[in-house]
Amino acid sequence: MSHYTRTQSQQHPTQRQFNPYTENGGTILAIAGADFSVIAGDTRQSEGYSIQTRYAPKVFKLTDKAVLAVNGFAADGNMFVKKVKQRLEWYRHAHSKDMPLRSIARLIQTMLYAQRFFPYYVYNILGGIEEDGTGAVYSFDPVGSYEREACRAAGSAQSLVQPFLDNQIYFKNQTPVLGTSHPTHLPLRHVVQLVIDSFTSATERHIEVGDGVELYIILARGRGTQGLDSFKDVQELTPHAEGERLFVLRRELKKD
Amino acid sequence: MLNLLKAVFILNLIKVEYAIEAIKLGSTTVGVKTSEGVVLAVEKRVQSPLLESSSIEKIMEIDSHLGCAMSGLTADARTMIDHARVTAQNHHFTYDEPIKVESITQAVCDLALRFGESVHDEDALMVGYKLPPSRPFGVALLIGGIDELGPQLYHTDPSGTFVQYDAKAIGSGSEAAQAELQDRWYKQMTLAEAHSLALRVLKQVMEEKLDQHNVQLAQVTKQKGFEILSDAELKEVIDITEAAMAASAPTAAA
Repeated sequence: MSHYTRTQSQQHPTQRQFNPYTENGGTILAIAGADFSVIAGDTRQSEGYSIQTRYAPKVFKLTDKAVLAVNGFAADGNMFVKKVKQRLEWYRHAHSKDMPLRSIARLIQTMLYAQRFFPYYVYNILGGIEEDGTGAVYSFDPVGSYEREACRAAGSAQSLVQPFLDNQIYFKNQTPVLGTSHPTHLPLRHVVQLVIDSFTSATERHIEVGDGVELYIILARGRGTQGLDSFKDVQELTPHAEGERLFVLRRELKKD
Repeated sequence: MLNLLKAVFILNLIKVEYAIEAIKLGSTTVGVKTSEGVVLAVEKRVQSPLLESSSIEKIMEIDSHLGCAMSGLTADARTMIDHARVTAQNHHFTYDEPIKVESITQAVCDLALRFGESVHDEDALMVGYKLPPSRPFGVALLIGGIDELGPQLYHTDPSGTFVQYDAKAIGSGSEAAQAELQDRWYKQMTLAEAHSLALRVLKQVMEEKLDQHNVQLAQVTKQKGFEILSDAELKEVIDITEAAMAASAPTAAA
């Protein structure tokens, strides 16, 4: 022992580990109405204190009546969306129809759970129109646990946005005026305004949220565009007015 | 080598053609579609008075909304129906919806089509992977069911081809039976009328007298899904059918 001196590493055992995951920030949010659904996400992608890009979409059109928002580890998110889209195409070829929303929800569960022991590090929110024409939102955890809800926020500003939604959508901690009751579904114009307000507020208080926001709005078959007309630069993504209609609304957010 | 491959290929085609011919020797099986649902009927050949007729199984459930009747080597159908059942359950598990009638028919035909596939295929050699069959399935199926497109009836044969029908007969008496179906089937037919039509067609091609032991009747309806009719229900349909046929017989003779 006394014949040689120990090196640093021999004196103190150290551990090194490869971490395959990164948290890329950002926030997503979806609200279901009676006959519409709104799915939104900011476009900033960051790692720690640095911004990687000011425009990395987190919300993706899947079918004419389904939109998926993905938040968490961006690389996993993009790969996951790619795989979901591939499965939707295979389904279309095998069964000659678009996959219904509840089927997409179930498919996402099985795809996430298939990765139970090396999960996609992502929180998914699926929005769209059900077969019965109602607006729907499904939210998922990274290993596939899922639930249909009226509204859901996820991502870095979830803790800021969800309580606001609970109050404004579910009317938590609000008492109705005597003899009246709270509405179960809000009108489209009101919902779009709530979503935009949620993102401007989250931008103010969370460093990982900002740059821009993209809102996807899906209208049920036969529903008019009422409630949408008051917003400028709404762009329609569906080529024809029959069937479900899909719109996108883009707004700038503060860049600091 | 090329010639050998060619010879094997042609031999396979001949085997399939023989299998299709063999179907025509099977017991007669009938399927009838109505707007209320699909009716499946089979003739059970009871070769011996000591045979338990209830042990002859020629109509089987694939899923609660899908039924299947067979003709030919019924043992082969077990493999196909097993595959169909697994496919239907997997679809329900993955997509939270019942599988379409056409999709299940396609799945069964994909299996029939595996005959003739090379044993040297990469995945054929994988551990736990079933080898492709050395001969074609010697059975034809009538697959009836209900999905979002309404009641549907499909026919599959050993070549792996499938075709949709309003009414179809397969097996030994199929030629006469199909002609009878063509004469008597109409779009507005009720389920009860379809029961009678199926039995009427079977009766005409069967040697023995109809009873609840030598025929089997099943239906798939929107309300109750797949069900095989009980002896009592079957007896009732037989009585109605025979009474109707007896009533119309003298007028036809006169």
